Amino acid sequence: MFSRLMRRVGVVLALGAGTLITAAWIYARAAADDAYDRLLLGAAFQMSESLSVADGNLRFVLPPSAFEILGLANDDRIFYRVIDPSGATLTGYADLAAKADLSASRAAPIFGDDAYLGAPVRTVTVSHAMSMPEGPGWAYVVVAQTVEARHALASELTARATMLVALMSLFAVAGTALAVRYSLRPVDDLAAALRQRDPQDLTPLTVAVPDELSPFVTSINYFIIRLDERIKLLQRYIADSAHQIRTPLTALSAQVSLIDEQRLAPEDRRHLKRVQSRTIELTGFTNQLLNHAMVIHRFDSVQLVPVSLNDVARMAFRNAVPITVDPDMIVSFEPADEDLMAMGDMLSLREAIVNVIDNALRHGATARLEVRVRQRENFGRIEVIDDGPGIKEADWPNIISRFYSRSPDARGSSGLGFAIASEVATVLRGQLGFRERSENEPFCVYLELPLVRGQP
Amino acid sequence: MRILLVEDTHDVGEAISRRFQQTGHTVDWETDGVAASEILSFTEYDLVILDVMLPGVDGFSILRKLRQSGSGVPVLVLTARSEVDDRVSALDLGADDYLVKPFDFRELEARARVLLRRRSGGEPTNVIICGDISLDRANRNVMVGKREIQLKRREIVLLEILASRPGKVFSKDELLDQLFGFEEAAGENAIELYIGRLRKKLEGARARIVTLRGSGYQLVSDDAA
Repeated sequence: MFSRLMRRVGVVLALGAGTLITAAWIYARAAADDAYDRLLLGAAFQMSESLSVADGNLRFVLPPSAFEILGLANDDRIFYRVIDPSGATLTGYADLAAKADLSASRAAPIFGDDAYLGAPVRTVTVSHAMSMPEGPGWAYVVVAQTVEARHALASELTARATMLVALMSLFAVAGTALAVRYSLRPVDDLAAALRQRDPQDLTPLTVAVPDELSPFVTSINYFIIRLDERIKLLQRYIADSAHQIRTPLTALSAQVSLIDEQRLAPEDRRHLKRVQSRTIELTGFTNQLLNHAMVIHRFDSVQLVPVSLNDVARMAFRNAVPITVDPDMIVSFEPADEDLMAMGDMLSLREAIVNVIDNALRHGATARLEVRVRQRENFGRIEVIDDGPGIKEADWPNIISRFYSRSPDARGSSGLGFAIASEVATVLRGQLGFRERSENEPFCVYLELPLVRGQP
Repeated sequence: MRILLVEDTHDVGEAISRRFQQTGHTVDWETDGVAASEILSFTEYDLVILDVMLPGVDGFSILRKLRQSGSGVPVLVLTARSEVDDRVSALDLGADDYLVKPFDFRELEARARVLLRRRSGGEPTNVIICGDISLDRANRNVMVGKREIQLKRREIVLLEILASRPGKVFSKDELLDQLFGFEEAAGENAIELYIGRLRKKLEGARARIVTLRGSGYQLVSDDAA
């Protein structure tokens, strides 16, 4: 915007300056011509005054003062020619202004531009009435002067005018630049305020701007408010639908749990088992679906804060491992020696880790599950290690995409667990990773997050 | 034990109270927040199971009021809201545990048992250390080195018995008495089973459970040797 404005102002100023300089040049030429023409005319008159008639002949004495006047122009050369009434050249350069119409000068002196001896000259022709013995006649004096002095004067005048115009243009450009810069500063401030804003900050802008910009800010704020309302609406919708879905689901599993299996016929018992396992499946799926929606939309409005990975992993560990887990399973948690801090959101991060642990418990671990927090260069890692068969490397990209089940009979798995964990990790500039099972090392799924420097 | 259940969904409330009654607890079931809050102000309970979304007063308000009045009764919060903030605020407000609906009823029972036990325990806070095993009797958690290990209730009790006097040999009968009490009929096989599990879970620790044929078991620290 600045450069565009400056370009336009520059074009206008250049055009203006060009016009002014041209005008100055024309004016300077006219002024120089005028000044030197007067001298030339003065000299010509003096010369014509010194014409006299003696003994019936026309006599001419060159008056020194005439040349003195013209001598004011140092470098110029002067030519003259005196013509008697019969048309013959009395004295001077006979071929000077040979073709000129001398009689025209009877009314008034005639100025003309000509070339003589290869140089441009300015000529003036004056007439003088003479009383000759044979009757009255007209004598003429032609004076020519080279034009160097008048050109020099014109050039000097033009140069001075050009300098003035240039100076004025310079001032105008500088002034415009300052004015434009100053006027555009609020726009820069506004841009900076928007740029430095936390992505999750959806409060209206409070930047002081001039009146011209306030409709713009109002529109931005209107947009922010609408976005904020939409997100809140969405989150409320998720929360409400969670309640609406979970309550009957709980009631369903509650009622199923009340059925006394012992009193059922074997066939009915089989159906009950089906209902029970489907209820559990539905429960798990609903939980993951709602958590996924909640976690993902949470990042629209939640500000990230430094989170202790030890704390969040411990909380997730206690949440994810049910008390009713198989008693023979060895489950342990090992925090990092140092308190590792990463930017994140406690709840989403915990949900992510819970999902990884939950997955390991459901599909991986047979007798051992280990959760560890480790530092790896600038990253903090939450590792979930199980002694199960692990996941083949070819499947890794698939399982982090939504609704992918490893086996067609992965019961209770909606295939959202790793997707949630992976999406949370990505939002937090980290990643969900896998380490293949080897001879010495069991299978490991880890969440890797960049650590915050200068830990609080 | 006396349990107050505050749950407005009839099907759920029915199932929970029936299940706890089946295991011998007394359950008062309230469906209204205001009524529940009133009852809590003059009745002592061993456990409160509290739903968050209630008609009248919500569960958080009841919990806040309960804690303000200085009651230390264990509270297990049930929530169906998706906002996990609810869970956090529940813990912040003084809930002892929470479950998100829909939950597994065995899990609810197990967690309720933990809370009831903590209530009846009342032991002073202390930590038993043997080798690099440390057992926090108040929080019921076990650390091997800096690794936290999850143990079942009986496994913790067994470890507690052995670690309270390291080196002492406990006979199977002794352990049987302390572990199961008189009302439960458990055989010596049960002790072997628990010892086996505990050994496995303590693998890598600098203390071991040693079997002395014919006489019993002892916990020996490698550091002492």
